[in-house]
Order: sequence, then C-alpha cells, then structure tokens
Amino acid sequence: MSAFSFTRMVTVARKELFDLLRDRKSIFWALFAVSISGPIVVGLLYFITKTVSERVEKTTAPIVNTQFAPDLVRHLERRGIKIDAEPKNYRERVKLGELDAVIEIDPDFAKALAEGRPAKITLFTESSRDRSAPIVSKLSRELQRYSDTIGNERMILRGVAPAVARPLQIEEFDLATPEQRGARLLQIMSFYALFAGLMGAIAAALDVTAGERERQTLEPLLTTPVTASELAVGKWLAVSAVNLLAVTTSLIGFLIALKFVPLAKLGVPFNFGVQEFAGFMAVLIPFAFLVPAVFLAAGSAARTAKEAQSSLGMGASLVGMLPLISFIRQTQPPWWDVWVPVNGQYAVLSKVLRSEHIPPLDWVAMWVIPIVGVVIALMIFSRRLGNEKLLAGR
Amino acid sequence: MIVVDTLTKKFTTKERTSAFALRATTREVTAVDRVTFEARDGEVTGLLGPNGAGKTTTLRMLSTLLSPDSGKASIDGADLATQKAAIRRKLGVLGDAKGLYWRLSARENMMYFAKLQGMNETDAKQRADVLIRELGLEALGDRPTQGFSQGERMKVAIGRSLIHNPQTVLLDEPTNGLDIMSTRSMRDLIRGLKAQGKCVLFSSHIMQEVAALCDRIVIIAKGHVVFNGTPQEVLSTTGLASLEDGFVKLIGSDEGLFA
Ligand SMILES: Nc1ncnc2c1ncn2[C@@H]1O[C@H](COP(=O)(O)OP(=O)(O)OP(=O)(O)O)[C@@H](O)[C@H]1O
Ligand SMILES: [Mg+2]
Repeated sequence: MSAFSFTRMVTVARKELFDLLRDRKSIFWALFAVSISGPIVVGLLYFITKTVSERVEKTTAPIVNTQFAPDLVRHLERRGIKIDAEPKNYRERVKLGELDAVIEIDPDFAKALAEGRPAKITLFTESSRDRSAPIVSKLSRELQRYSDTIGNERMILRGVAPAVARPLQIEEFDLATPEQRGARLLQIMSFYALFAGLMGAIAAALDVTAGERERQTLEPLLTTPVTASELAVGKWLAVSAVNLLAVTTSLIGFLIALKFVPLAKLGVPFNFGVQEFAGFMAVLIPFAFLVPAVFLAAGSAARTAKEAQSSLGMGASLVGMLPLISFIRQTQPPWWDVWVPVNGQYAVLSKVLRSEHIPPLDWVAMWVIPIVGVVIALMIFSRRLGNEKLLAGR
Repeated sequence: MIVVDTLTKKFTTKERTSAFALRATTREVTAVDRVTFEARDGEVTGLLGPNGAGKTTTLRMLSTLLSPDSGKASIDGADLATQKAAIRRKLGVLGDAKGLYWRLSARENMMYFAKLQGMNETDAKQRADVLIRELGLEALGDRPTQGFSQGERMKVAIGRSLIHNPQTVLLDEPTNGLDIMSTRSMRDLIRGLKAQGKCVLFSSHIMQEVAALCDRIVIIAKGHVVFNGTPQEVLSTTGLASLEDGFVKLIGSDEGLFA
C-alpha cells in the first residue's frame, strides 16, 4: 500500500469534524448538557451547605420535662437556642426524622443535682441519619458545657482549682488548609470533567465508525487512494477535537458557576484560578485524546450502530465509576493508582484542586499512558478498517 | 483496459444450528470461480448474471476491496496484487454500496472524494461543477443529501466516482431502482463515457439493459463465466430469437432471473 499521506489524513480529519459539527442538534445538546451540569452541581453544593449552616444556627432544642431543669433551659436560651417545650410523641418523631434530637430530663434531675448525684439527661437521636448529625453534636456540646459549668462552680465552692479535674488539655489541630477543606466538596468537579471527557466522545465515535458502515459509505471510501491508517488517524483527530470541546465547555461551565456562587461566604474556601485551570487542562488534554482512540477501536468491532452504542455507553459508565473507588477507599492508594486510566486522572485532578505538590512521576503517567494507549488503539482501529471482513460482514 | 485471469474468491461462513449451539459449522462458498475476461478502452463491457452469481464479488476484487484467493488481474498494466494504490487512482467505482454523507451537500460529497484522489481545490471545484451540470443536479447541488430521492442519490454517487475523471469505470448495477427517465440518462452517461474512450465495466441482472449498451457481454452464473462475446453471438450460439431466452439458456436455469 502507498505511504502514509499527511494531506489525505488532514482531508479526512477536516471532513469528519465538519460533518460532526453539522449535526447541530446532537452536538448542541451534548455541549449544553456538559456545560449545564457544572452550574447545577455548584448550585446544589451551595444550597446544601447553606441549609446545613442555617439549620445549625437556628437550632431549636425540644426538651421534655422542662420543669425539672429551669436553669438548663435558661442556659440554652442564653446560648441562642430556642426551646421547644414538651414535644409530643418525641421518640417516634425523632425516629421519623421530624425532630433531629430530643433532650429528656429525668424526673429525678433536680433532686439528684441538689444532692450532688449524677443527674440524668437523655439525648434521643437517630444516628443513621446524616443530616441530623450537626444538630446532635451542637446539642450535646451545649449540654457538656452546662455540665462543665456546674462542675467548675462546685469545685470552686470546695476550694479546688477546676484544672485539677482536667489533667489533659486536648486540642485538635486540623492540618487541612482551607483550600483542601473546600476541595473535598468540589472533588465532584474533577469527577464531572472526566465524565465529560468520556461522554463527549461517544456520539462522535459512533458516527464515524458504525455510522460510516450503516450509511454504506465505507465501501466507496475504501476504493479511493485513502489508506486505513490515514482514515484511522483522521477520524481520531476529529473525534478528539469534539471531545476536547466537551471537556473545555464543562470546565468553563464550572468556572462561570463558581464566579456567581459565593461559596467563600459559607466557609467553603475554594479558588480555581489560572494555575488550577492549567493543571486541569494538562491532565484532561491527553485524556481527551485517549478516550476517542479507545472508543474508535471498540466501535469498529461492533456490527451495528446500536450494538456499538450500547457497548460503548455501558463501558464508559463503568469506567466513569472508577473514581468512586478512591472516593470510598479508606486506605492509602497504592503506587500504581495514578497509572490506571481515569482513576489516575481523578487522583491528579484532586491534587490540583488541593493545591498539592504533584510529583513529576504523576505527570509522566498523565502523558505516557495516553500516548501508549492511543498508539495501540489506533493500530487496532486501522487494522479493523483495512480488514475486508468489515465490508463483508455488513 | 481490464484484464482478468482466473480470478477466484472463496468465502467461509460460520453457521450455528441454533442460538445455543456451542460449535459453529463452517461452510465454504466459492463466489467467484476462475473468472477470466477482458474489458477494453472505448467499449462498454457488461457483466451479466442472476442474483448471487458473483458480479459484486468480482467488481469488489477489481476495486481492491477484497483480495482474490487466486488468479490475477490488471488495470492498464497495474497489477491488482502489488499495485493497489495505483489501481485506486485509475479507477472510478460505483460499487454495491452507494451511501452518501447525508449531512453534506451533493457538492461536498464529491469534493471529499476529489481531495482524497489528490485533486487540488480549484480543479476539484471545476470538475464538480461540470458533473453537477451533466447530471442535472444544479438545483440540488448545495442541499444536504439527506432528503434526496433514490435517483438523485444515485446521481450524486456516480458523480462522486467520476470526480477524478478516471480512465476505467466500474459500475455495479447502476440502474437499480431508477425509473425509466433516470435509467435513460444513466445510459446516456455510460455512452458518453464510451465516446470519451473510457473503459466501462458494468454489472446487471437484466438482459435488455446489457443488450442496449454493451459491446461485449460476460455472462456469469454460480461464479463461472458461461459466455463471453457480443450480443449478436448470444443469439448465434444459442440459436434462439430473443436475447432473454438466450440468457436463460446460457445460465442453465431461469431461477433468480426475475428476482
Ligand atoms: N462476505 C460474504 N460472506 C459470505 N458469502 C458471501 C459474501 N459476499 C458474497 N457472498 C456469497 O457469494 C456469492 C456471490 O455474491 P455476489 O454478491 O457477488 O453476487 P451478485 O452477482 O452481485 O448478486 P446480486 O445480483 O444479487 O447482487 C453469493 O452466494 C453470496 O452469498
Ligand atoms: Mg451484486
């Protein structure tokens, strides 16, 4: 066969890109979907964080048997907590989630307190419900504070320094920088960027492989001087360009959303500046070129567009879930973590978000794996295109 | 000029007796069996045969899409086995598959193939204009081919295969699905190619079609060449009065003829 012609390859790439972009409807909807997902996620985060902090601020304490502990009630009121005295059916309502927690004062409370015996208070909670957790911890903190206050008073009355009862001074020092704490919430952003990089290529890859066969244009095409490898590279470049567009759009969607939502006000410090954007692109560009190559190789194996669509769609969704492993995993990631496609990208993107130092070896992984992957996938794709069975097997 | 010498192509097909059968039985079909003929420049050669005779397979081998299992062929001296790239430049092919890119216009479809054939922008544009005029596609040239009728699509497909002004033209059932008017204009086009001194090889399963156009007829049945000569000779060798009867006699049965 004749040598690889760069001109013909570019002709193929230009035609495919042009043809793909002509499909306004599907391109528009795909780009719209990826660009809107960013703002939606950021908006949701904002909303969730806001309601949580509002609820904690405006905590009301349902208390049963207020008459036995008027001092405690006053203490709580002074701390800015509203009192909801004598709630009905409180056990049931805590269970159902209508109440986050209920304080029950023992009928013996006043007497026990006066006699210096431990006075009993029960805090009813439902620990499997995450959304109640901040309120439960606020209430138990306040009860503890009240207990400490009384304890201190008693010791002073007896002429003992309160410090005697506190042999240890325990302080928590959270090493997470503000960026890191914010990043934990916005990890979702890297998840979405990768998702865009996976999903942005599917429709285009199908169109230039199974679509070409279904439209019966592959046979005429192969009677021209164009070679299988020129076709493979040209198609790959065109699909990659579309994919890159999807990834960039999704990032820009996020950036615009972050500009408008005052996450910082809610104590979620997060900055996504030029440096973070560059870091993201340095990870996502090679990724955006790798995914189409793999899809093209896989798509050309399928006999019909439908078959290709379901297998690619499923493959992409499964692979897209890989980062969840890192999300759930409690242990240190193994050394090869960054060398696993998708997973590795996710890990490095997270580091970018956390403004962490990224070792050079990570960058090697971000580029070497895609390059090797592209070469192998394109070899498979081009071999399939050149195989006469592809025509025969219509 | 096309020279075909004992060209043979076998297909192996895998068959499963049931959806749950573990083993597939392979079956071998000889689609084209030692086919030999010549098609000369300035002549129209018809490849005639019933359904499944091996016409498409023969044309696919000549257009380098399938590689023969044995035998040789050459086009203007370029060997099919060793000079595929040269052959692809010499040939204009309207194959069995005649699909178009439906989001592209008729002109864009033609221009894509022109560029792949190595033509520059100006030449390609000029040539596309000429073909669009000759094919009567002026009103449709810049519309996406999506809504085109079958005849209109066929015209675009033939324009695409002639875009680089090839010396040798292979046409696989070029009048399939066309109405009388379109069939006539397709015949005129083929006669025009002949007048320009091109070598035209076209396949059909309709005797009249071939008789109306061809200088030479190659009849194949079940992969074998059963006749090779002029329309006149069909009558003289069979001793029958009508070409159609002659054709039926030559292929040895009338099954599949009217399919
Ligand atoms: N890819 C293939 N795999 C298996 N068998 C095939 C394949 N292509 C063709 N055949 C078989 O080879 C024989 C010749 O087929 P071919 O398409 O060349 O016939 P044809 O003369 O063009 O028929 P028609 O007039 O119906 O188009 C048929 O029996 C067909 O089933
Ligand atoms: Mg056929």
